[in-house]
Amino acid sequence: MPVIEVRDLVRKFGDRTVLNGVTFSVEKGETMIIMGGSGCGKSTLLRHIIGSMKPTSGSIKLFGEEITTMPAPQLEQLRLRFGMNFQFGALLQSLTVGENVALPLVENSRVDPAIIDLIVKMKLELVGLTGFENLKPAEISGGMRKRVGLARAVALDPELLFSDEPTSGLDPIMTAVIDRLTHDLTRKLDMTAVVVTHDMVSAFRIGSKMIVLGAGKRAGTIIAQGSPDEIRNHPDPEVRQFINGEPDGPVPLKLSPEDYIDRLLGHPRQKGVAY
Amino acid sequence: MTLRAELRTFFFLNREILRWIFLGPFQGRPVRTAAVFRQMVRIGVQAFPMTALTSLSIGLTLAMQGAQELSRMGASAYVPNLVAVTILRELGPLLVGVVVIGRSGSAVTAELGTMKVGEEIEALEVMAINPVRFLVVPRFLAMLVMLPVLTVFGDYIGLAGGWTICHFAMDMGTATYIQRLMEAGHPLDLYSGMVKSFVFAWLIILISCQSGLGVSGGAEGVGQATTSSVVTSILAMLVANAVLTAVFFVF
Ligand SMILES: Nc1ncnc2c1ncn2[C@@H]1O[C@H](COP(=O)(O)OP(=O)(O)O)[C@@H](O)[C@H]1O
Ligand SMILES: [Mg+2]
Repeated sequence: MPVIEVRDLVRKFGDRTVLNGVTFSVEKGETMIIMGGSGCGKSTLLRHIIGSMKPTSGSIKLFGEEITTMPAPQLEQLRLRFGMNFQFGALLQSLTVGENVALPLVENSRVDPAIIDLIVKMKLELVGLTGFENLKPAEISGGMRKRVGLARAVALDPELLFSDEPTSGLDPIMTAVIDRLTHDLTRKLDMTAVVVTHDMVSAFRIGSKMIVLGAGKRAGTIIAQGSPDEIRNHPDPEVRQFINGEPDGPVPLKLSPEDYIDRLLGHPRQKGVAY
Repeated sequence: MTLRAELRTFFFLNREILRWIFLGPFQGRPVRTAAVFRQMVRIGVQAFPMTALTSLSIGLTLAMQGAQELSRMGASAYVPNLVAVTILRELGPLLVGVVVIGRSGSAVTAELGTMKVGEEIEALEVMAINPVRFLVVPRFLAMLVMLPVLTVFGDYIGLAGGWTICHFAMDMGTATYIQRLMEAGHPLDLYSGMVKSFVFAWLIILISCQSGLGVSGGAEGVGQATTSSVVTSILAMLVANAVLTAVFFVF
């Protein structure tokens, strides 16, 4: 039974369709990589899977249970089994770094305060932030905040980890540290992970399965899905452009001169008028 | 949001708060006492100087105006009565309410609003920590305790303000002043003021929290929510005050 099963997920904001029939599943122990251009709906997809947004239509199952219609108390129970690392950390500004990591333990476990202290130190050590316990989130950099977010997400040793761009804004060494951590958690402790990333190196380093969300005409749909090798050799030109990081391709850098003028004017050009 | 939706949220928030206070402890989710005390300091204790200043100035001016008007009728001996009744029954609770709305209610809205915008509320929910229990309940309890306390404190400072005028400007003895206060001020006046401030506290903190949690749209949204929370709190308090005054007249 898959740990995550998303079927025909559709989400509209007003009349804008951000997710348009997304279907995929993640098996236990896998690391699923979600790729796609900025603003294509990756964070929105994660928000739906963790139950903080409700889809317009479609089904999402976590550990075999449908969460789109689940009552709040049950969803809360389910949330104890997974951790989420937000794109911008989402740390509580009023608490210190250490208190942030301790929060899930203090609130949702019966662990002794002395042990919590130890666990917090261990988790911060994992993400390379030993000694920063007593600083406030406002006093550390964006990349550090993100790592604190990761430490907090794994504080309760969840079965399932969601990570939204965990390595963007980190230096190559720290990126490698975070990748190693995710890799170890999934391969050694059998944790399941869903990671959103733009970093091709780290995507192919940790991913065991990948999906690519499309842009333009195919916005909100999965345009490629498979193992890292399948994605690397994918025939789709948009996927190739994305993986190889080319500025121009199916996702256009510039509009054609005609389109450009149309867009500037806000209406199609009149026939026979010279520009 | 429409007024109806706002009212529905208001009652929902009420229900959630009461549920966490009274049922939570039996589900292994007791009130976070330490947080309540922290909020009591921020909402109440830190509002003491401002409350004192406002009440003192009102006590002073009330006595001055009263002395001026009453002496024309040769009734300047009744200044303490005027001060006592006005402050205990009406002005004390209202003034302290306004001070607390401006200082603490707005701060609560701004803080919760910033947390909403910074995805902190969402993060709490995803960590299976209920934001109402974690954030709203401590502020609610702190306000419910501290506003009546501040009101009693403000009442006394206001009466002391009246005393300053009577004693230094009108040569009234301290003993006379106190005696007149006791004659004029019925305990029921004090109690009615307390009941009022309790109701005000309930309204203020719920409106502040609801406005904060309902913020959308960045820093601008936080600013707008703070303004509207102050305005709504003051309006709600004035309406409640009129209703309660009418109710107390019946007794
Ligand atoms: N709460 C919201 N209300 C309206 N539109 C939203 C909301 N959240 C996200 N969107 C829209 O959804 C699209 C995808 O956003 P997001 O998931 O954050 O992209 P990304 O792939 O960069 O993480 C964007 O166009 C954004 O404007
Ligand atoms: Mg994103």
